Amino acid sequence: MAVIKSVLKEELKNSLRMKKEYELALKKLPKGALVSRMVKGHKYYYLAAREGKKVKYKYLGKIADAEKNKYMEAKIMRAKYKNLLSKVKKQIQFLKRSLRGKEEV
Amino acid sequence: MEKKKYKLFLEVLGRFYEAGLLKNIILIGSWCLYFYENYFKGLNFTPTIRTRDIDFLVPIPPKLRQRVDIPELLKDLGFVLSFIGSKGYMRLDHPELIVEFLVPEKGKGTGKPFPLPEIGLNAQPLRYLDFLASNVIKIKVDNIVAKVPHPAAFALHKLIIHQRRAKPEKANKDLEQALMILSFLIKNDEQPVIRNTFNSMPKQWQKNVLDSLKKAKAEEIIQILEK
Repeated sequence: MAVIKSVLKEELKNSLRMKKEYELALKKLPKGALVSRMVKGHKYYYLAAREGKKVKYKYLGKIADAEKNKYMEAKIMRAKYKNLLSKVKKQIQFLKRSLRGKEEV
Repeated sequence: MEKKKYKLFLEVLGRFYEAGLLKNIILIGSWCLYFYENYFKGLNFTPTIRTRDIDFLVPIPPKLRQRVDIPELLKDLGFVLSFIGSKGYMRLDHPELIVEFLVPEKGKGTGKPFPLPEIGLNAQPLRYLDFLASNVIKIKVDNIVAKVPHPAAFALHKLIIHQRRAKPEKANKDLEQALMILSFLIKNDEQPVIRNTFNSMPKQWQKNVLDSLKKAKAEEIIQILEK
């Protein structure tokens, strides 16, 4: 029993650290999503980002492929990190509940 | 959760294998037991409790011929790089797995991370890992060939380090794993291998192993070693 408890405690410590790391990783990603609009056959880009309750669009114009890829990759990574952060939060809940038992963690 | 963990473990190993890393690094720690299931095929070997940590041992001097940026290699899987403690040991974290690199500690030890620029990480130096590095076998699982310590070396190493553990629970876990592996080696008629591996250890280490076994009252194993 002591072995399992010790493993759970270590896992909880790891999960708490991971939660911070994913939150930090999300903060580091460039904000906003790339939105394109076709005007007279030309593609122009805007950066859509939430500011409080409103979504604001910032005009970027025609941008290079590298810039486009940066935002596309950020979009994918944001979804991934959010998903993993939610998993970590569930793990923390589970581990805390498992460890609680009769004594305090 | 366990299935996802295994899937991710195999994905990480597969990427390391394709990048040619598994030729030069050794899988150690409790995830070796996954490979030992194949080694002890037919003996109904069921590994005990396993943590999220996957440890890889890099023998010194590192023979990493190709440069592989491991944090970049695993980034799309959702691994994030973290720095542990005041010394800044690097780890790759994921809710299912934690990837860490270790090197054998030489001499008095520096207490500092060992830089491994070839793989974009650093490694934590630890005692007694040379012993594992010099008793390695290759096992194939799911089309991946990995280097792991021979089960006899794995078990004897556990018997040494369990005495140095600060947490008694961890020490018990080491002891349980060591005794379990040794019992399967005996079932597999590998008593001479256990003995030879034991005899290759320095005298003081042998004494430590025997002390551990005496405390655990593992008479059968003591008899094999003292033959």
